[in-house]
Amino acid sequence: MIRKSHPLLPYLLILPTLVFVLIFTVYPSISSIVGSLYQHRLNIPKYRDPQFFGLGNYRDLFESQQFRLIMSNTVRYVVVLVPAMVVASLFLALWLRKKRFARLRVAIFHPTILPMVSAATIWLFFFTPDYGLFNSFLRLFGYSGPENWIGNPDMALWAMVIVAFWKDTGFYMIFYLAGVQNLPKDVYEALEIEGAGPVITFFRFTLPLLRRTTLFVTTVAVIGAFRTVDHVFVMTQGGPSERSSLLLYHLWQVRFESLNVGQASAITVILILVLLMFTIANFIFSEGRSKDV
Amino acid sequence: MPKKVLLLSLIAVLVTVNGFAGGQKETSQGPVTIQIAYPVAVDAPVTEILDGYARDFMASHPGVTIEPVYAGGYTDIKTSIQTAIDGGGQAPALAVMLATDLFDLVNARYVEPLSDYVDEMKDGKAYLNDFLPVFLDNSYYQGKLWSLPFQRSAVVMYYNADLLEKEGIAPPDSWDTLASAAEALTLKDGDAVKRWGIEWPSGWPYWVFQPLAIGAGQNIVGESDTEVYFDNPSVIDAVKYYNSLSATYHAMPAGVQSSWGNVVPNFVSGNTAMIVHSSGSLSKILSQADFTVGVCGVPGKEKGTFASVPGGGNIYMVSGLSDAQKKVAFEFAVFMTDPARAAQFSIQTGYIATRKSAYDQDVMKEYIKEHPQALETRKALDNAGKELSLQNLNQVRTIFHTYIQAAFNGDMTAEAAMAQAQKEADEALKDFR
Repeated sequence: MIRKSHPLLPYLLILPTLVFVLIFTVYPSISSIVGSLYQHRLNIPKYRDPQFFGLGNYRDLFESQQFRLIMSNTVRYVVVLVPAMVVASLFLALWLRKKRFARLRVAIFHPTILPMVSAATIWLFFFTPDYGLFNSFLRLFGYSGPENWIGNPDMALWAMVIVAFWKDTGFYMIFYLAGVQNLPKDVYEALEIEGAGPVITFFRFTLPLLRRTTLFVTTVAVIGAFRTVDHVFVMTQGGPSERSSLLLYHLWQVRFESLNVGQASAITVILILVLLMFTIANFIFSEGRSKDV
Repeated sequence: MPKKVLLLSLIAVLVTVNGFAGGQKETSQGPVTIQIAYPVAVDAPVTEILDGYARDFMASHPGVTIEPVYAGGYTDIKTSIQTAIDGGGQAPALAVMLATDLFDLVNARYVEPLSDYVDEMKDGKAYLNDFLPVFLDNSYYQGKLWSLPFQRSAVVMYYNADLLEKEGIAPPDSWDTLASAAEALTLKDGDAVKRWGIEWPSGWPYWVFQPLAIGAGQNIVGESDTEVYFDNPSVIDAVKYYNSLSATYHAMPAGVQSSWGNVVPNFVSGNTAMIVHSSGSLSKILSQADFTVGVCGVPGKEKGTFASVPGGGNIYMVSGLSDAQKKVAFEFAVFMTDPARAAQFSIQTGYIATRKSAYDQDVMKEYIKEHPQALETRKALDNAGKELSLQNLNQVRTIFHTYIQAAFNGDMTAEAAMAQAQKEADEALKDFR
């Protein structure tokens, strides 16, 4: 018997989510797009009331050496951090999938639950010149300088990457762990009987079978990396010479420190576009591959 | 049915009338509640002190409720005020924010002028004249007074007086003597440094660098709110001197090394002989150091000259209040800046008392007798220039930080870095000229 459902019921069921999406995603996005077309600067009397500026905010941003540096920092941060986290979390999951490693899993997962501000404060101490943990370690290899990791223009950004890697890898490991534990056991038994080596098993079977988990993890990791801001606040404030400044931190500075509402909206639009493009590309790539398999 | 309607209507009318009557009573002389937003990220028990002020004020002002609201640092307070106002909410009535934020706060209409309230005071003129003038300088814009000095500090140099005496070195009073003292006080064991001669924080560099520029003959900021002198030869000279302390004298970590938070622990533990820091760290240093602490302004280029700049936060009245709230807010601001409280606040926190008469208070005289360093911090202000405070402050300050750190780290020469900083700052200020 086919149950007759009310035609409105499905709509009513998605209504709560829809309302939230409209209020907190669609409306702010449209408002940012509109806002980015105006010269609206609260600290300049003549621009306190928004004036139409066309694509002027975008032009100013792309002409600014500072913004180009921050974009390049952000891209390098994401391009290094995300693959490192994804690969490490996958290997940790494969390593720790046996039940007897449950305690180790907790140890690796625990940084995830620490607030970023506290985590960054702890790491600030590790990076300290002279007696910081990192320098003490380097001393074993004969290093004798006072290196302040977050004060060195070539190291500050990588110090941020190290902290984020330590903090978030455990989180992504949980998703892979769930994926790994759901892999079909009979396939592996068959592989064993056929005499497939571990390399073949991993690249030809495990990795393709975990494709959807990887899609999810990379998407969440990229969005998370672009949204990183807390440890920049605590550790470097974007310094030295803006070499560790990231997009969201810059957005905060432009909106709340420089009171430039129009330009902050333009940065928001750029951030949304980048993330949207990545998510769609990642999805298409992954789904395209699924047809081949 | 009609009976029910009649009854309901009667109740509705009664409730409405009662409501109006109550409302009227409230606007005339009813209770007033105000909030004061305060940054807690300072080395002092500010919550206890502020809670005490609120209690005392409420005891002498029946019907008034003061609610302190605490948040991280100055930036957090400012951001929360901005978001509350921009979002159409009710922000706290009073807020302690950086004195240097004046122009942005006024331009964006986040704060109210205080001039009218001071004019209404019986002794308004005398009240203002009692503040140390260097602190009040940051309070005027467009011919009006916008804030009252409260939690104020100055850049000073702390030195380990016992160590200097032991080594037979006189407290430095010029660039030359400072460099040679720092060199002599640096202790090395092979390549490893056991004690630095001097540490000069460079993570947030403009403030502690300013006295160096003033000591060379030119402050980085001009008298007007749109002038900067980043590429002035004296400023470049100051950058070169700073770099020479590590490159030539090997007495200071090279580049952007010393962070604000590590310098004081290094000094009190004896790992650094001299530091440049805020006078606001005085209480902490005095309580933790097991040696005699010397305090002075930052030595200037010429012998016998010293320089400093003021810093810290002022009390602002936030916009969007009712008249009754404004009145209470101003009264509470005056209450907080009373000479006896200013003296007590200075003793408890290490910040410099903002009013001249605070130094005539018996408790203050007693404290200075025990800790003469507290008077030295105030004396440092006698040779103080203006703190970097101008239009579009954040953008200009970021530009300066970017290039001076590039010069400190050797990415650019002092000349090239400061020329580029000047060019970009002029661009950032062109809308205001």
